[in-house]
Amino acid sequence: MSSPKMPDHLSSSVKHKYVRLGYQYLVNNFLTLLLIPIMAYTALELFRMGPEEIFNHLNSLHFNLLHILCSSFLVIFVSTVYFMSKPRTVYLVDYSCFKPPVTCRVPFATFMEHSRLNLIDTPKSVEFQMRILERSGLGEETCLPPAIHYIPPTPTMDAARSEAELVIFTAMDDLFKKTGLKPKDIDILIVNCSLFSPTPSLSAMIINKYKLRSNIKSLNLSGMGCSASLISVDVARDLLQVHPNSNAVIVSTEIITPNYYQGKERAMLLPNCLFRMGAAAILLSNRRSDRWRAKYKLCHLVRTHRGAEDKSYYCVYQQEDDESHVGINLNKDLMAIAGEALKSNITTIGPLVLPASEQLLFLTSLIGRKIFNAKWKPYIPDFKMAFEHFCIHAGGRAVIDELQKSLQLSAEHVEASRMTLHRFGNTSSSSLWYELSYIEAKGKMKKGDRVWQIAFGSGFKCNSAVWKSNRTIKTPTEGPWSDCIDRYPVFIPEVVKL
Amino acid sequence: MDRLQEEGSSPIHSFRLSTVSASRPTETGMTHEPTGLDLAMKLHYLKVVYIYSAETARDLTVMHVKGPLFPLFEHIPWIIGRWRRHDSGRPFIKCNDCGTRFVESQCDLTVEEWLRIPDRSVDESLVYHQPVGPELAYSPLIYIQMTRFKCGGLAFGVSWAHIMGDPFSLSHFFNLWSRTLAGEEIYCPKPSNLRRGFPNPTSTDKEPRSIKRVDPVGDLWVASNNSKMTTYSFNVKVNDIKSHLPANKNEFEILTGIIWKTIAKARVTCEPVAITIIRPDPNGLKHRAVRNAQMISSVHVDFSVVHANLDEILKAIGEATDETFLINELGERDDGVLDFIVYGAKLTFVDMSEVDFYEAKVREAPPISVYCNVHGTGDDGEVVVFPAAEEKERVVTVTLPEDEMEKVKGELNKCGLIKALK
Repeated sequence: MSSPKMPDHLSSSVKHKYVRLGYQYLVNNFLTLLLIPIMAYTALELFRMGPEEIFNHLNSLHFNLLHILCSSFLVIFVSTVYFMSKPRTVYLVDYSCFKPPVTCRVPFATFMEHSRLNLIDTPKSVEFQMRILERSGLGEETCLPPAIHYIPPTPTMDAARSEAELVIFTAMDDLFKKTGLKPKDIDILIVNCSLFSPTPSLSAMIINKYKLRSNIKSLNLSGMGCSASLISVDVARDLLQVHPNSNAVIVSTEIITPNYYQGKERAMLLPNCLFRMGAAAILLSNRRSDRWRAKYKLCHLVRTHRGAEDKSYYCVYQQEDDESHVGINLNKDLMAIAGEALKSNITTIGPLVLPASEQLLFLTSLIGRKIFNAKWKPYIPDFKMAFEHFCIHAGGRAVIDELQKSLQLSAEHVEASRMTLHRFGNTSSSSLWYELSYIEAKGKMKKGDRVWQIAFGSGFKCNSAVWKSNRTIKTPTEGPWSDCIDRYPVFIPEVVKL
Repeated sequence: MDRLQEEGSSPIHSFRLSTVSASRPTETGMTHEPTGLDLAMKLHYLKVVYIYSAETARDLTVMHVKGPLFPLFEHIPWIIGRWRRHDSGRPFIKCNDCGTRFVESQCDLTVEEWLRIPDRSVDESLVYHQPVGPELAYSPLIYIQMTRFKCGGLAFGVSWAHIMGDPFSLSHFFNLWSRTLAGEEIYCPKPSNLRRGFPNPTSTDKEPRSIKRVDPVGDLWVASNNSKMTTYSFNVKVNDIKSHLPANKNEFEILTGIIWKTIAKARVTCEPVAITIIRPDPNGLKHRAVRNAQMISSVHVDFSVVHANLDEILKAIGEATDETFLINELGERDDGVLDFIVYGAKLTFVDMSEVDFYEAKVREAPPISVYCNVHGTGDDGEVVVFPAAEEKERVVTVTLPEDEMEKVKGELNKCGLIKALK
């Protein structure tokens, strides 16, 4: 039986694929491909010349001891300067994510019933929340802190501190256990929690609880939104350049208790539907001894701030409503602004991570559009060539959909983000770590894999970090996914019927 | 009683409401279909109050109490669901993990002061109760109130929609909670795994006497009464009951006979010639589960109870006709959209003497007091008999129209059942 003929459009796309592969191979390995003929020619010449001719050539250069000494000192000097000025490598030794207790679980039905009872006079707001929840991409296991389970919620300062203690101390205890880190060995402590900033600070709370050293370099970042975790990593990295042989613990969390909106404005009710309890504690180090056991190496970290534009500045804005209830107003243009911020970020990170072939194509497309015809479709670089894994901040279903579309990612690439949103909700700055934990729990993290973490936050900011996996992570992993990873991935319908 | 009514303020205050759900999500789309007997019970609610001493409960926090409920509800997910209706109008439970309402409150009295009140019907104020409806989709079936007394003791008041299960189910549920609190692993079979066969009717009457159809109540499952009902509770000693009739008769039946006669004397113009007796199904006790497994029987006499002697009455009680099967059929009629009352359709006597309320041990100590009553009784009233803390005692709660109660109390005093009356 003769083999079936491939349909024309398929065969042309296969040809196209091979052309593309050939082009990529050529451009990415350009230097190697150039070097091979040169080396071949040189080797051939040397063989042709024979040992006496080579020796004669060397003699004619009139080397003497001084020349040789100076040259070798120059080489040693240059290499020393190079190694000294090379930035210290920052390793991510390990991290742990907070797994909320089942007593904090909020099923959809309970959320809606509470909403009805709390907003008894505004059924339209209740209906709005129901529609948001149905399409949110959240699952039935997300958790809210105990104070929010009351009708009406009882967000006292004590309750907020209790929540902070619960999430932070649980994550840190777990981190100590995983890494064998002793509290007295912590050199740098950075805590980021956007909307709860008591005095003494949360970092002081940690120092008090674990009796950390008096010369610890502690920092408490507040108000910096959902992208603050990567900001903390950036600060830690900079500090670790200045302090040799040190480690840094970063705690990323968002405390829900004092920020649950108690009013009835629809735009401000949206965060209530999405934000859930979560926290992550991360151990970074620049010690050479940690190189062997570290999970990841930090390759790049790019921060982009669009706050100079009014539109971006006001799109996520905390304010009082007409009844003096404080809440966060999310503007309708949020997605568009996020897209712009992402483009800015990509423009910076692209050249650092993309292979030469993609950069060349992008450059050509850019020049072409500027000079020849603005109507040419802009070339979107294929980031799948630069990264094996993607952790997109699980801000909401719309964010993940938008990024999947604009970066042309497959469903598998965004699976970690979608499943984190389903299981844990939007845990704000710590969501990136739950997503990374998902990828590890699924056994997909191999040595040498590159991970791209992208976070968005109020301001409007887009921060991204690139990590390279230092070792293959074996399953089963201990973490927030350990008891449910077998159920994932789940199919998340467009609209859940409540 | 005086301290309770001073200046119209109740000693129970500082209510905080929250919700308790299950630890794991129930399978999407799971539903629970009630039986005809369940549907016949829908306008009735059980109220049970467990009181624990300060020594036992002092260090039990709200989280200690809520904690065991989560894994427990995972085993019985339909009791934390919400009612919906099929297109035909027949109610069913959507198992959506919505949860039970948990109410925290404080009491200004100590447990001792509270228990000093002889009429235990004050315990009704320790049960937060709301009926199912008017919005079925947002009405919890169970309310649990946790009251902290001044001395540190605790009271747990459970309001339980009878449509889910009988008093044995409620006790079973609470016992499972106490065992989970103690750290035990529990197992709870689904009722569908325990098919209950109703015994064939012993009489050829098609219409059971013990159930009465009421006007449609729609989605607000409340039985309407023509008169305001009131409850009175008192203790009796088993020996005292048996002294009325030295034969080896069941003390519940003896009590029923005596109280029937007493109420008949009080209701001079229209003495009750038929009563309903509700008792547990002996087979149902072998496999505990949450369901309605009670036996509802009717007693009908053609003589005047006032003038009859106790022997005759007891003989008639012994010949009660089991109407459970017929009630189940009636509940199914018209695909379950009709509304009925059973408790109080005729003067109802409920035998809870075998219910193991005192098995609900906290820190290995049983409750020092348990109170039980059925809410939503019809105008004919009801009498509930359940065990007291003392083994040889029973507690009797009598729910009757307000205007009858004083007369009945008088008659009860005359026959010696109530020793001292305030």
